[in-house]
Amino acid sequence: MPHSSPSSLLALPASIRSLIVAQSRLQSATPRLATAATRLGHVQTTRSYATESTTAPQSSVNATEVSHFNTLASEWWDPHGSSRLLHLMNPLRHQFINRCLATHGGEHTTQRKYLDIGCGGGIFAESAARLASTKSVIAVDPTPEVISVAKQHQRVDPLLLEPGRLTYRNHSIEELPLPTSPSEGFDIVSLFEVIEHIQQPSPFLSNILQHIKPGGWLIGSTIARTSVSWFTTKFMAEEVLRMVPRGTHEWSQYIQPTEMRSWAKKEAELDADGIGWQVMGVVYVPGLGWKEVKGSEEWGNYFFGVRKSAAH
Amino acid sequence: MLLSTSPALRASFFALPPSLRRACYATATSPSASHPEIFDLVCVGGGPAGLSLISSLKSQSSTKRLKIALIDAQKLSAPPRTGDGDASGTREFSNRCSSLTPASVKFLKRIGAWENVEQGRVQAYTGMEVWDGVSGAKINFDPMDRGRVAGVVESLGRLVPGSGFGRGAEDEGAGEVATMCENSNLTAALVERVRGLEGVEVLDGTKVEGIELGPEKEKDGMSLDLSLWPVLRLPGNRKIAARLLVGADGANSPVRTFADIPSKGWDYNQHGVVATLQLDQVQDVSAPRKAFQRFLPTGPIALLPLPGNKASLVWSTTTALASHLKSLPPAEFTAAVNAAFRLLTTDISYMLTHSTASQDLDWRESQTDLRALGLPQDFPRVDSVVSGSIASFPLRMRHASTYTGHRIALIGDAAHTIHPLAGQGLNLGLADAESLARHLAIGMEAGMDIGSCWCLDGYGSDRWGKNNAVMGVVDKVGKVFGASAGPVVWARSLGFNAVERLGWVKGGLMRGASG
Repeated sequence: MPHSSPSSLLALPASIRSLIVAQSRLQSATPRLATAATRLGHVQTTRSYATESTTAPQSSVNATEVSHFNTLASEWWDPHGSSRLLHLMNPLRHQFINRCLATHGGEHTTQRKYLDIGCGGGIFAESAARLASTKSVIAVDPTPEVISVAKQHQRVDPLLLEPGRLTYRNHSIEELPLPTSPSEGFDIVSLFEVIEHIQQPSPFLSNILQHIKPGGWLIGSTIARTSVSWFTTKFMAEEVLRMVPRGTHEWSQYIQPTEMRSWAKKEAELDADGIGWQVMGVVYVPGLGWKEVKGSEEWGNYFFGVRKSAAH
Repeated sequence: MLLSTSPALRASFFALPPSLRRACYATATSPSASHPEIFDLVCVGGGPAGLSLISSLKSQSSTKRLKIALIDAQKLSAPPRTGDGDASGTREFSNRCSSLTPASVKFLKRIGAWENVEQGRVQAYTGMEVWDGVSGAKINFDPMDRGRVAGVVESLGRLVPGSGFGRGAEDEGAGEVATMCENSNLTAALVERVRGLEGVEVLDGTKVEGIELGPEKEKDGMSLDLSLWPVLRLPGNRKIAARLLVGADGANSPVRTFADIPSKGWDYNQHGVVATLQLDQVQDVSAPRKAFQRFLPTGPIALLPLPGNKASLVWSTTTALASHLKSLPPAEFTAAVNAAFRLLTTDISYMLTHSTASQDLDWRESQTDLRALGLPQDFPRVDSVVSGSIASFPLRMRHASTYTGHRIALIGDAAHTIHPLAGQGLNLGLADAESLARHLAIGMEAGMDIGSCWCLDGYGSDRWGKNNAVMGVVDKVGKVFGASAGPVVWARSLGFNAVERLGWVKGGLMRGASG
């Protein structure tokens, strides 16, 4: 990659920037990443959401993403490996979940059922399964290697081996059977660092909603799509500091919190107008860790939470 | 068995392929063999640090359901209380006493242990007179100075009623620098607290025969994998596995050895001589007491108040002098102690090497200008020493290079050993216990495995730096005041006098010393 200064790179249009990043990846990349570069023919600066779908939900699984995460599987639990930032962020996930649940006080205090989508090596799934207030965790990921790593790591903790406490499934979320009745749904469906890897987010999210019980929450985290987030999460994190493996993120797939909320408002079963919508911006400061920074959701990493209406 | 072999041998053992390693285990580890009993936390060491850690964990909602085992080679029964068939009244004070900072006492109250402490046998004191044995330069830690540290605004604010400033000085225990407490009194109080707790198995009188890693995991299937869990071998063929193994097992910690954590430092070539002394003044129970410390070239000598007309002696001195002192008959020992506080350093060394008869002391004292030597006016005279209370222990400084490892945490003397001149050792251990308990609570609330680095790193980074700083300062103070050469004495006296005059600096130092 030519050594151009960040400001000159940022001055370029988004589509050219993505091409430059993809070019640098290609130079050192294995053949499978070449497919990522060919996708750049239709890079957009706004996400278009397919709101109507007459066919059965297609799989949201992207072969490129799967193979990328397969290569990261073995170091998922290495404290100084490529997933270190995810480990450091995990406590904030619980903090945000508690904040969301507290808005409707006391409803989900104990015996919570979790569905963790895109669980990866199980960082969040394990931590949720250990809590005293948890009844069960179902964790789903389409990537076979990471599910294998997750299961091997589960064996290290006797608490996680208790029957029904933590179950891993290696398939796409579309293959998970829907609940037989609304109350059989999950209290919390979690989607951490997943939505930015999905090419068609709208049908994907609409399908997920069916798994949430009335009064339950969809909670996730992702990254806003701005020049700042491009600079921090793509340029600095992947290229310069190498804290995130190259090719992990596709900047054009980031979602703005306002876009999330617009989508949520369109869904009849969701309660995205008042306190049923929560958002929390977080920033990673090397040496200090992840910190909540009010307003940073406009340009960086953020958590979002939306509640499914109780009377349904 | 493995524990008694050299680290090199152990390392090469673990380098063997798993199949060969398995063959070396005493018991056949067939895949269907039942695994050891599992505990969330195993604490080796029933001293103040370990006991307060357990009490603290059980007093926090997020950690009180942890399944805990406490192991100590000694029996942890509470010693008899005053009045238990003791016709002569109060039992003699133990020579092992510690000076508890207000922060330590607050912690002990919070975990429900302070209420078990026999209050009649503890002594709070409000000031510490410290002076230089060579120059006589003095420093008086008067709690009234502490208010000035807050700043000019606060000082002015205190003149204005109802302004809200200066309220910091009125907090609980503001008038106290420390509380003297016998180690046995504190330990008994903690033992009583721990024995009343649910979910704690106390294995006292139990020696840990060895610590190893758990058996190799089976290649296939989803069976429990304890291959990276510490497993303790106890008498009677019992094995327990620890999600987190806490080493609260003293300066020569076997847990620290198992974890291969090096401990670096140096010996001071000094011994601390302790004794319980009888003073000539009869103290009014309500009168504020003071501690005294004089820095001699051979090491500081300190007198710490106990209830009634008693005091605890801590005299750090050379190894040779320490054994000489221990060999003296009681009357001469008493004279030596009085001499050490009152005479010129040249007189002291002469007396200690030649004769410590009390007539000699009286004569030399009459020749000495006590005020010029910095002796405080209210300094008491030592009448006698309680028989059988003279003892000594070697002084050294050690610091573990890290406090945590995978499923390992060190607290108290297992983590650090310090010179007693600032009375900090026990307090640092209690602060370690408080910090570890707090970080385990944070970990539990975020669903962490409490033995993982994500949970333990916070404790290590919290305490290691702070302990290192305190140990550094204490070490430097000891070395600076161990010299008797002119320029060093002058410079340090300047330091002392300057601090004396700048009340706000002194206040800051005192606030630091109070923890």
